[in-house]
Amino acid sequence: MTDQTDFAVRAPASPGRGQRRLAWPATAGSRLASARLGKTVFWLLLSFFILAPCASFLALAVAPRLFSQGAQWFTLSYLRQTFTGVTALAITNSLWVSCAAAAFGLAVGFPVAWLAARTSLPGRRLVAGGMWLVLLLPSWLPALGWQRLVQPDGVLYRIGLSSPFITHLIMGPFGVVLLLGLRSVPFTFLAVTAGLAGLGQEFEDAARVHGAGRLAALRLIMPILAPAIWSALAINFAESVSDFGVAATLAYSSNFPLGTYQLYAAINNFPPSFPAAAAMGWLLVAAVALPLALQARALRGRSFEVLSGRSRQVVRRQLTRPGTVVAVAGVGLFYLCALGVPGFGAVSGSLLGDLGGSFSLTLANYRAVFHEGGQFGPLARSLGYGTITATITVIGGFVAARFLAQRKTKATRLLDFMLLAAVALPSVVFGAGYIFAYNLPIMSTLGINLYQTVLLLVIAYVAASLPTNARVLVGAVSQLQPSLKDAARAHGAGELAAWARGVLPAVSRPIVMAWLLTFCGTFLELPLSQLLYAPNDPPASVSINDNLSTYHFGVGMAQSVLAVGIALAAVAVVLGGYRLLAPEGWRRIGGTVRG
Amino acid sequence: MIWTKTHKNLRVVAALAGLGALALAGCTSSAASDQASGAKAKVPLVVYSAQGYDKAMVAAFTKATGIPVKLDDNSTGPLLTQIEASKNNPNWGLLWVDGSTAFAGLDQQGLLVKGYEPSVSFNSLGAKNIPPDKSYVPTGVTLAGAMVYDRTKVTAPPTSWAQITGSQWKGAIGTNDPTQSGPTYPFIAGMMNYLGGVSAGEKFFTRLKANGLVINPTNGPTLQALTTGQIKLAFVQSSAGVGAALGDKKLVVKYLDPVTMLPSCIGIDAKAPAAEQAEAKKFAAFVLSAQGQKVMQSGDPTGDSLYYPVVDGIAPLPALPPLTGVQVQFIDPYKWGSQEAALNTWFVSNVIH
Repeated sequence: MTDQTDFAVRAPASPGRGQRRLAWPATAGSRLASARLGKTVFWLLLSFFILAPCASFLALAVAPRLFSQGAQWFTLSYLRQTFTGVTALAITNSLWVSCAAAAFGLAVGFPVAWLAARTSLPGRRLVAGGMWLVLLLPSWLPALGWQRLVQPDGVLYRIGLSSPFITHLIMGPFGVVLLLGLRSVPFTFLAVTAGLAGLGQEFEDAARVHGAGRLAALRLIMPILAPAIWSALAINFAESVSDFGVAATLAYSSNFPLGTYQLYAAINNFPPSFPAAAAMGWLLVAAVALPLALQARALRGRSFEVLSGRSRQVVRRQLTRPGTVVAVAGVGLFYLCALGVPGFGAVSGSLLGDLGGSFSLTLANYRAVFHEGGQFGPLARSLGYGTITATITVIGGFVAARFLAQRKTKATRLLDFMLLAAVALPSVVFGAGYIFAYNLPIMSTLGINLYQTVLLLVIAYVAASLPTNARVLVGAVSQLQPSLKDAARAHGAGELAAWARGVLPAVSRPIVMAWLLTFCGTFLELPLSQLLYAPNDPPASVSINDNLSTYHFGVGMAQSVLAVGIALAAVAVVLGGYRLLAPEGWRRIGGTVRG
Repeated sequence: MIWTKTHKNLRVVAALAGLGALALAGCTSSAASDQASGAKAKVPLVVYSAQGYDKAMVAAFTKATGIPVKLDDNSTGPLLTQIEASKNNPNWGLLWVDGSTAFAGLDQQGLLVKGYEPSVSFNSLGAKNIPPDKSYVPTGVTLAGAMVYDRTKVTAPPTSWAQITGSQWKGAIGTNDPTQSGPTYPFIAGMMNYLGGVSAGEKFFTRLKANGLVINPTNGPTLQALTTGQIKLAFVQSSAGVGAALGDKKLVVKYLDPVTMLPSCIGIDAKAPAAEQAEAKKFAAFVLSAQGQKVMQSGDPTGDSLYYPVVDGIAPLPALPPLTGVQVQFIDPYKWGSQEAALNTWFVSNVIH
C-alpha cells in the first residue's frame, strides 16, 4: 500500500514523467506485484530469523513449560522478580547509564563528524579510519585498558601519578558512562557522516545568502539532519543498554550492576534460569520504547528527502589557527581515551609474561600464539564469517532502511520497533532463542538440523547485526529522492539497472560503511558464537575468551592484539578497494571541495 | 548519473568477486570439515569440553580408534547453558568439565547415562568421586580455593580459614564469581560444608565481604589482580595457581585445611544414539588409559594438565605441591549441586553487590 501511494504521489512530479506515463499500464502492475512479493519475503525472513528466536526466548518469561524450563504454563512470578532486589537496581542503572551514554556519544560524535566532513581539520582522513578501529575493539578491551591504568597499584600508581579520585571516578558510574559513551561515538559518527554526505552545499548557501550567521545556518541544517541525529541517539541507547563487555568488566569490578550482566548471570548459573533472563529481556525491550517514542515525536509528519541529482558538492570550511588547535586537541583527546588507553592496556598485557606483575617485556605470549597449533584457524574463520555476514546484512539492512524511510504505516512502525528492540536485546538472548526455536524436536523430525552448524551461526550473526545496520543506513536512505531512480528509468534503464545507476552511487559510501560496521561487529562477537558455533570450527572470539578466562591471560591478550590487527587490515583493504575501484562519481557524492 | 564506460562496470564486478573470494576463503575450513565428517561412516561423537587438553585428547582418540569427534571447546558456563537449552533435543554426546556438582544436577534431571564405570583401577581420590549410580566418571582432581600469594609481598601468610577474615587482610583477598567461574561454586560449597552448613557459610562470606573481599569474574583476572598488587591472597583453582606460579617464580601455592576436591568428570548424554553412547564410553576409557593420561598431562602443561590423577600408577606432574599432610575434603555433589543456583544467587546479591 505504501509503495502504491508513494508511486502515485511522487512519480508524476519526477523528470521524464511523460515517458513513464506511457509505460505505466504495462509495468505498474508487475512492479506492484514484485514489490508485494519482496515485502512478503522480507517479512517472512524477519519473522523466522529475528522474531521467532526472540519470541521463543521472551515467551519463557511467562510460559516456562513451553520449552521444558519449568512447570508453569503461565506465570508472572519471573516478571515480578525483575522489579525486586539487585535485578531492579541493575535495570535502573542500565536505563540511566544508557541515556547518558547516548547523549555523550552524540555530543562527541556530532562535532567530530562535522569537523571531519566539512572543515579543513588536519588529519581528517585518519578520523574515519580511527572510528573503525574504535568499532573494531570489543567493548571489554577498552574497559580492561582503563582498569589497568587507574586501578589500585595500576600503571598510574606505579609511575607515581596515583590519584584515588581518578580511580574512584573511573571505577564507578562515571567510568561506565564514559566507556559506553566512547563506544557510542562511532555510531553517531557514521549516522551523522552519512547524513552530512547527502546534505549539499545549497542549504548552507541559501541561509548565508539570506544573511544568516554560522549559528543560524546551523539551526537550518540541524533539522535536516534530524533523522541521522535521532537514529544515532536510538542506536547509542540500544547498543549501550545491550552491551555486555563493559557490564562484565569495569561495571562489574566497580560493583555497579547492569541489566545485561544480571541477565547473563541468570543464564550462566547452574541450572540456568532462562525464564528469569527472559523477564529481564522483556524490560530491556520495553526500554527501547523510550528513544523510539522520542524519535517518532521529533520526526512525525516531515520529509527529509534532500539528496537529488542537483545536490551540490560541499565547500570545506577553513578553520582558523586557534580553531584548528582546539579541534585537533578535541579529536586527539577522543582518540586518546577511546584507543590510546585500551591500546596500551591490550599491548602491555600481551607483552607481560607474568600476568602483569612486573614491567619486564617479553614476546613469550606472541611466540605461544605462533607456535601453538590451531590459533590461526579461528582468526581466518572469523574473517570469513564476518565477510559473509556483512554482505548479507547490508542487503537486508538497505531493504529495511528503505521501508523505515517510507511514509509511516503500522507495518513500518512495527518494523521500527522490532529492529530497535532487537538491538536492545543482548546477543546471549538471541543465542539462547535460536537454540529454543531451531532445536525443537519437530525440526529434527523434519530433517532440519540447524543447531551447531555454520549456517545457523551466520544466520544469527545476520539477524543480530541487521537492526543496527538498518538504523545506520536509514539516515542516508531517507535522504534519497525518487527522482534519482526515476531519472535512470526515464533514460530507459530497467528496474535493477536504474537502482544501480541512479541510487547505488548516492548510497555507495554509507553502504560500504555499513558493511564495515557489520564486519567489525561480527569479527570478534562472543555471546552468539559461544552458544551457536559449529563444533570443530571455533571463531576467534571463542578461542580468545578461552585463553583470557583461564590461565593464559597474556596469550589471550596477544591473540586479541593480532585479531584487531587482522581486522584492521581487512578494513584498510575494503576502504582502499573502494577508493581504487569505485567510479570517481560515486566517491564525489558526499565529498567536498576546498573553500 | 549514467555510466558509459564498460571498465567501470568491470571494476564493480571485480570488487564483488573479490569480496566473494574472501568470503569463500574464510569458509573453506568449515566447509571442508563438514564434508569430511559427512563422508565418515561412523557416527561422529560430539564432545562438549572445557578442558585445556581436550584438543590434544580428541586428536589422540581419533588417531587410536578412528572414531570422528566434533569438539565444542568452550567455557563450562556456555556448555551447561547449551545443554539445558537443548535438553528437548540434545546435540551432545559427552560432557567433560570440572565440578561434579554440575554432573549431579544433570543426573537428577535424568540427562546422563547411568551405570557405566571404565575398567581401570581408581586410586583413593578417584574412588571417592565415583557417584553411587555411576552416572559420571572422574578423570582427574584439582582443588577448589587454593591460596596463591607473592612471597616477596606476603611473608606471613594465613594458616587457617579463620585468619583470612582478620583485619590484617582487609581489602587484600580475592576470588572469583561463581556464576562466571565453574570452579568457584565448589569452593563456596566446600567452605559451607566445612563450617557446618549454609548459614554458617553465609556468615563467613559476609564477614569476608565486610573485610573487603575482591571478586573478579574468573581465575585469570583474579590472578592478574594478585600479580599487579590489587590483592595479596588469591583463592582460585589449584591448577590455575600452580600454572601461574610456573610463569612467575615469586608466586606460591598453599592449601589451607581443609581444601575441597574439584574433580574433572565425564558424563554421557542419556538421549544420544546408542552408537554414540558406545563411542563416548570408549572415549572415557581412553582418557583413563595410560596413553590418555599421558595426553592429559602434556596437553596443557601450564593449565589443566596440573591435576592430581585418579588412577593408580600415574604420578602427578612435579610442579604440583604434594597432598601429604593436607586435609582434602569431599563434598556430596548431590546435596550441594541441588543448592547451586540458590547459593550462587545469594552470593551475587549479598557478597558481590
